Amino acid sequence: MYEYSEDEFMAEGDDFVYSASDYSEIDDGEESAEETPNQRSQPVGTQTQNNTFSAGAGFDDDDYYGGEGGEFEPVIASHSSKKPWEVDFKVFDPNELRAKQEAIIGRMEPVLATSKDATTLLLRAYLWKDEPLVEDYLTDPEGTLTKSGISIDQTSPCTMSGDPDFVCEICFCDGEEEEYFAAPCGHRYCTACYHTYLVGKVQEGASWRITCPTHKCKMLVGEEGARLLLKDDEENLLRYNSNLTRSFVNDRDSFVWCPAPNCVYAIECHVARSALYTTVPSVECKCGNRFCFGCQIADHMPAPCYMAEKWLQKCRDDSETSSWMKVNTKECTKCRSIIEKNGGCNHMTCRECRYEFCWVCMGSWAEHGQHYYNCNRFNEESSKEARDSISETRAQLERYIHYFTRYNNHEQSAKLARKLLATTEKNMEQLQRELTLSWIEVQFLNDAVDVLSICRSTLKWTYVLAFYMKTDNQMIIFENNQSDLESATEQLNDLVENPTSHGAIEDIKRKIIDKTTYVKSRWETLLTDTALGLQENRWQFTI
Amino acid sequence: MATTKRILKEVERLNKDPVPGILAQPIEGNIRYFDVLMDGPSQSPYAGGRFKLELFLPEEYPMAPPKVRFLTKMYHPNIDKLGRICLDILKDKWSPALQIRTVLLSIQALLSAPNPDDPLANDVAEQWKTNEKLAIQTATQWTQMYAKPSQ
Repeated sequence: MYEYSEDEFMAEGDDFVYSASDYSEIDDGEESAEETPNQRSQPVGTQTQNNTFSAGAGFDDDDYYGGEGGEFEPVIASHSSKKPWEVDFKVFDPNELRAKQEAIIGRMEPVLATSKDATTLLLRAYLWKDEPLVEDYLTDPEGTLTKSGISIDQTSPCTMSGDPDFVCEICFCDGEEEEYFAAPCGHRYCTACYHTYLVGKVQEGASWRITCPTHKCKMLVGEEGARLLLKDDEENLLRYNSNLTRSFVNDRDSFVWCPAPNCVYAIECHVARSALYTTVPSVECKCGNRFCFGCQIADHMPAPCYMAEKWLQKCRDDSETSSWMKVNTKECTKCRSIIEKNGGCNHMTCRECRYEFCWVCMGSWAEHGQHYYNCNRFNEESSKEARDSISETRAQLERYIHYFTRYNNHEQSAKLARKLLATTEKNMEQLQRELTLSWIEVQFLNDAVDVLSICRSTLKWTYVLAFYMKTDNQMIIFENNQSDLESATEQLNDLVENPTSHGAIEDIKRKIIDKTTYVKSRWETLLTDTALGLQENRWQFTI
Repeated sequence: MATTKRILKEVERLNKDPVPGILAQPIEGNIRYFDVLMDGPSQSPYAGGRFKLELFLPEEYPMAPPKVRFLTKMYHPNIDKLGRICLDILKDKWSPALQIRTVLLSIQALLSAPNPDDPLANDVAEQWKTNEKLAIQTATQWTQMYAKPSQ
């Protein structure tokens, strides 16, 4: 999925034709070139241009991943503005990712006191975890280098020729006119073969992990060496560089790629795995995609990752089966066996317990007497009792269906909200024309739809939280918050859908703006409550 | 045409300095397709057998590994019913510095040292692990049945 986007940006980032030494001189002029065609245009004024969102106090130190290279510096907007459910994160475009790598390498180079190429390879081999790297390297520099496949001898790689004894073990060309290359291990191959070998690896997606072609040789070719061999092959050089950036993000726990199709951005966020039980790290990419940093599925606030995962699994496994069961089966009122009636009359005999009953009213058959095929005994005492005694399993199924229906309903409504956005734009144009309002004066509709869709998403997941919650007083408080938000959201939805049918425009505008504000505040209340509740272990869950 | 040069050179070397117990020759009209005869290593259940293999050098060779397959029926945990061989250097551990000679030697070594922990033929591997004696006996029988040099 990233391949397309990476190639896309690589084709535009022109700094890669620089050699490694002037690599850091990324000129500012290319900022304008980074706008790729597949990047969705951002509505002016609705999105901050700053890379850092929801900045704030940050987590305690032990919430951070230990020892990952590079400091995380979100721009602090205001400590007081950070909401309990928000997490600090930063969006990186490809150029910023490269700059970030350069910054870490630049910082570590004097610490390790070795060459830039070696520092870079060491950092990559240690997956950018600088603490263990520094510890290992300062204790045993040679061992650390050798273990990572890096040469102790720090000479710049170059191609050579002029050895009459040279034979390339790949193509068997020989003689002093052959130009050859060797990784620091000294295994020589002609540059043509080395190049072909490298290209093959690069096209498989490899970058810094490419080793010498010799069987069982672990020596890394190194970035300088690779760039030297690929210097006349722009396409593969770009690909090599893009593979490097990709591995930078993939190798680190605190970075993920935005999972939206064709999105080129990566997101940095420091949330420990263990914190995912009580925190939902929802992040928003610059492309507009909202997703969970922890599991990379669409935003599932306020349900934590493990719950969301379990729920989605349950939906995949159960929903088909359970709805089928609900429609097609009944339970024996005596032994609770699940029974499907696949033909025959209403006189049922349970295969398990031999209980005889009527399929229509579930009452004992003995009381039916002559009323064969025609059950008119709905109000009879015994059958009523039989129907009332829904067994535990059936009750659980009913419970699941209850929550699933509501979950699903919000999901569908959220999809409709996206459609609504299209009609809203039409409505806004219409209002502008008819009432000669300015563009800014009709933006309230857009804001309302934005709030609607985020509330739908949150509401959807509140049902998952509720499904796994044990009933107690705390749950009742939660459900009150949920129902407040839900009814407010529905009212707002109604207003937005038919803005012109609710009276004079000024009136509606005020109503919608008021309602939007109210819904938003209900949304914040609910999220604050759930975020704090999860952290305080306020609720008991069945999983 | 560096690839052809390499292949010719390899063939030349294989003829001049053949590997003991292995005969590999390209068929007429296709320098990339080899008929291979391999003697079963002594001290193994395959001893005394002569096994037929086919070896093909794909277009990308030597950047991509050769494709090798046993044509003689084999009872071996890393060789399946179709004669396909599970060997790391024929897959991700391939190095362009390896040659037909080294590949065939590795295959011969695999016959001496079966690795039931990384199986291709699961039933054979299972047998090898639960009752090695019986497995070796079967392998010896198969060698007698299918890999007699006279056949």
